[in-house]
Amino acid sequence: MTNKSKTKYGLPEKVIFCKKCVISNQRPSSTVEFKHVKKERKETIAFGKDGICAACRYAEYKDSKINWRAREKELIKLCDKYRGKDGYYDCVVPGSGGKDSAYAAHILKYKYKMSPLTVTWAPHLYTDIGWKNFTNWSHVGGLDNILFTPNGIVHRLLTRLAFENLLHPFQPFIIGQKYTGPKFALLYKIPLVFYGEYGAEYGNKIKENEIPTMNSKFYAHNVTLDKLFLGGVSAKSLLASKKISLNDLNPYLPIPKKEAEKIGIQVHCLGYYLKWDPQECYYYASQNTGFQANTERTEGSYSKYSSIDDKVDAFHYYTTLIKFGIGRATYDAAQEIRSRKITREEGVTLVKRYDTEFPNKYFQEFLDYTGISKEKFWKLINTGRSPHLWEKTNSGEWHLRHRVSSSNNE
Amino acid sequence: MKNIRIIPRLDIKGPNVVKGIHTEGLRVVGEPIKLAEKYYRDGADEIVYMDIVASLYQRNLDFDLLRSVASEIFIPLTVGGGIRSIHDINNALRAGADKVAINTYALGHPEFLKEAVRTFGAQCIVLSVEAKKINPNSWEAYTDGGREKTGINAVDWIHQAVSQGVGEVFITSIDADGTRKGFDRELAQAVSSVAVPVIIHGGANSPSSFLDILRDCKPDAVAASSIFHYGVATIKQVKKYLAKNNISVRLK
Amino acid sequence: MPAHNKKLVAIVDYGVNNLHSLAKAFTRCKCEVIITEDPATVATADAIVLPGTGAFQAGMNGLKTRGLIDSIRAFADTEKPILGICLGAQLLLNTGNEFGSFPGLGIIDGSVDSFPTLKPGHKVPHFGWNGILSKGSPWNGSLLDSIREKSYVYFVHSFIMNPKNKKYIFATSEYGGYEFCSVMRKNNIYGCQFHPEKSGIVGLKIIKNFIKIIQA
Repeated sequence: MTNKSKTKYGLPEKVIFCKKCVISNQRPSSTVEFKHVKKERKETIAFGKDGICAACRYAEYKDSKINWRAREKELIKLCDKYRGKDGYYDCVVPGSGGKDSAYAAHILKYKYKMSPLTVTWAPHLYTDIGWKNFTNWSHVGGLDNILFTPNGIVHRLLTRLAFENLLHPFQPFIIGQKYTGPKFALLYKIPLVFYGEYGAEYGNKIKENEIPTMNSKFYAHNVTLDKLFLGGVSAKSLLASKKISLNDLNPYLPIPKKEAEKIGIQVHCLGYYLKWDPQECYYYASQNTGFQANTERTEGSYSKYSSIDDKVDAFHYYTTLIKFGIGRATYDAAQEIRSRKITREEGVTLVKRYDTEFPNKYFQEFLDYTGISKEKFWKLINTGRSPHLWEKTNSGEWHLRHRVSSSNNE
Repeated sequence: MKNIRIIPRLDIKGPNVVKGIHTEGLRVVGEPIKLAEKYYRDGADEIVYMDIVASLYQRNLDFDLLRSVASEIFIPLTVGGGIRSIHDINNALRAGADKVAINTYALGHPEFLKEAVRTFGAQCIVLSVEAKKINPNSWEAYTDGGREKTGINAVDWIHQAVSQGVGEVFITSIDADGTRKGFDRELAQAVSSVAVPVIIHGGANSPSSFLDILRDCKPDAVAASSIFHYGVATIKQVKKYLAKNNISVRLK
Repeated sequence: MPAHNKKLVAIVDYGVNNLHSLAKAFTRCKCEVIITEDPATVATADAIVLPGTGAFQAGMNGLKTRGLIDSIRAFADTEKPILGICLGAQLLLNTGNEFGSFPGLGIIDGSVDSFPTLKPGHKVPHFGWNGILSKGSPWNGSLLDSIREKSYVYFVHSFIMNPKNKKYIFATSEYGGYEFCSVMRKNNIYGCQFHPEKSGIVGLKIIKNFIKIIQA
C-alpha cells in the first residue's frame, strides 16, 4: 500500500490507465517553467468518471463536434486581418523544421498566403537528420528562417542544473521554445505568432480549448529575479554565484508584459483552426519541405518521425519515464490511438515493447554535454523514482509497479 | 524471351491496406479485397500481400482476411508478415498463399529458411528484404517494418539466403519507398547477379520509371505500391507502355 | 449460387499444398468440389484433382501416410478424369529426380528432372507467365478446348516432366531456349505443369474445360 508521503511530485497515488489510449493519470499538464522548482506539485491530466482521459475526450470532440469549416473560416479571417501589404513579414512561426512546424509554416505561406518568418530555438545537440530537415525546411520548403542558438556554456550549465535539481534536462529547451516566437515577434514588431499543436491535444485543461490563443502567462510576464527559476535555481542565486551574467539570462526570460501589449502580440495555435493529424503533417512535410523520417526507430519508441532533432530529447523522455512512469512510446502511441492510426491493443504492445528502453545511442554524449558522471547520472535517476511507481526487485533491478495492459482498468 | 512480371504490393495493417513513406506514417489507402480484385482485373501478374506490422506488434497476420482476399483472385499471391514457423507457413498456404515471404524472423534465424525450403519447396519460399543505403554501394537490412537496424549487409544476406535455397527475393528500397521519386538503381544493379528471380520494389513514379529500371538493371519482376494505390498510373497503362517499348509482358 | 452438378469431384489433400484457391476456382466455375484425404472417398469420386506445391519426395510421403497411393493408381485404371497440377502432375510419373531419386505414382511412364542449362538470364525456379504451344494434337474437346495458342499461364517450378512416350506431351512451353512439357495427356488423365487456378481468365477456362470433360 502506498501513502501520500510515498508519492513524488505531488502525483496521484493511484495509477489509472485511460480506457481508450495508453496514457496514465500520472501525466503532468504543461508547467510554467520559469516557476518550476523541485518541490512543485504537478497538475496532472484529468480523467473522467468513465476512465477516459481529457486528451481522448478532446479527440472525440475534435472528431465529432467541431465545425472545421467554420474554424478554417476563422483562420482565413485572421489571416486577412494580419496579412502584410508591403512585403514585410506578417506572422512568426516558431519551430524546428520537424513535421509539425514544417507543415504549419508552409501551409500558412502557400495556402493562406501569409508571409511567415520562421524562427528556431536551437536544439541542445543537433542530430544529423534534424539538421538536414531543418535546412530543407528553408531550401526545399521555401521559407525564411532565423536560428537562435543560446550561449552554449550557459545552456549546458542550465541543462545540468535542470537535470540535477528537477530531473528535467530538457527544461532549457522548453523554456526557450515557448519564448522564441513571442521574442522575435517583439523584436521585429510582428504581432501574430502561430504555434502548431494545441495544448488540449495532449490533455491540458479542456477549458483552454475553446479559444485559439495561448495564455500570455506562458510567455509574457513581469518577473523579478528572485521569482524566476532556471534549472530549479533562482536567477538571483545564479547571478550571485557569478556562474552567469544578467546578459546570459536574456534568452530564458519571458517578454515584458507591457511591451507585448504595446505591440499587441497574440499567440495562436494552428491546431485550433486546422484539424491536427501528426501523420498527415508528416506526409505534407515529406512532399513539401523535404522532411525525412529517421532511418531507424527512436530509442524508447517505435516511431521514426517524432522529435528527432535533438540528442538530449531521448533523456527528456527517459526522465518522464522515471518521474511519471510514462516513456516515449506511451506518448507516441497515445497520440496515434487518438488520431486512429493504431488500436489501443496495438498501442499496448508497442508500449510494452519499447517504453522502458534506455537511450544508449547518445548516452555518452549526454554525459559529456552535461558534465555529469555515469555514477551521478544513475544516482539522480534512482532518487527520482517515485515509490508509488517503482519497486526494486531482489536482484536489484527497478520495475514499474503498474504497466498498461489490454485489460487494464484499475 | 523472359516475361517480366508487374506486381502490385498491398501493405496490410489490421483490416486496411496502408502505405507509408520510408516505411513510416502508415496511411490507410483502401480495403484489401477491393484493391486485390481491382489489380487482378487490371492485369496484375501476381499480388504481394504483406502484413507490415505483424513483426512490430509481435502477432500473426490475419489468416481469415487473407482467405477472403485469396478467394477473389486467380493469380499468384505472395504473403508475408510475422512468419516465424513452419506452422505459420502452412497456415498461410492453406489460407490461399502460393508463396510465403519471410524477413524479420529469417534474419535472426537463417537456418529457418533451409527448413522451410526443405518442407515446402524453393518455389514457395521468398526472402523479403528491406534495404537502407548506408554508403555508396552498401545497404543495411532492416526488420520490423523498416524500424530496426540489423548491422547486416543486405546484399550479402541475400546471397546467404539464396544458398539456403530460397526460390525468390523481394527487395524494397527503404530510401525510395513511398517517395515516388524513382527506383533505387544502384540497389537493383547490386542484386542483378543474384541466382534466383529478384523482384525490385520502391519508388515507382511513372510507366517510364519501370522501363528505365528494366532496361538498366534487368530485374525479373517489378513491384509497386503508391503509384497504383494513389491512382497515378494503372497496371494496364504500365504494361501497355512496356510492351510498346519491346519489353515482353503478359497482356490480356 | 453455384449450380450443383451431380458428379463428385474430389480434390486430394495430401498435406503439402494450397487447396483453397483451387477449390475457389472450381466454385467460381460453378462446380462443387470436396477436399478429401480419404482413400474411400477418392475411390467413389467421378473425377479427382491432384494439386500440389512442394518437393517430390515430400509429396509422395504425404500420399503414402494417407494410404492414397493405391487408390489413386486404381482410380487411374478406371479411366475417370484426373487433373494433376504442378507437383500433382509430376507425381503421376514413375520417378522424381529431385534431391535424390524417388518413386512416383507411375501412372504415366517417365521421370521428373531438373531443367538443363538455360540461356543466360533465365533463372530457376521458372517463375512467371509463359505461353503454351500445341504439339500437333488438336485441343478441341480437351482440357485446352478454345484456348488460343501462346496463351499465358502461370508457372512456378524448378523441375520438369519428361514422359517417356512423346505422344503424351500435349502442350509445351519454351523457357531459356529450352522446350519442355507443360501439359501431359494420357486419355482422360491430364498433368499441367502450370497452375490453372492461378492463371487468371485463361486458367479458369481450362478448369471449365475439365468440368465439361467430367460431365461428358
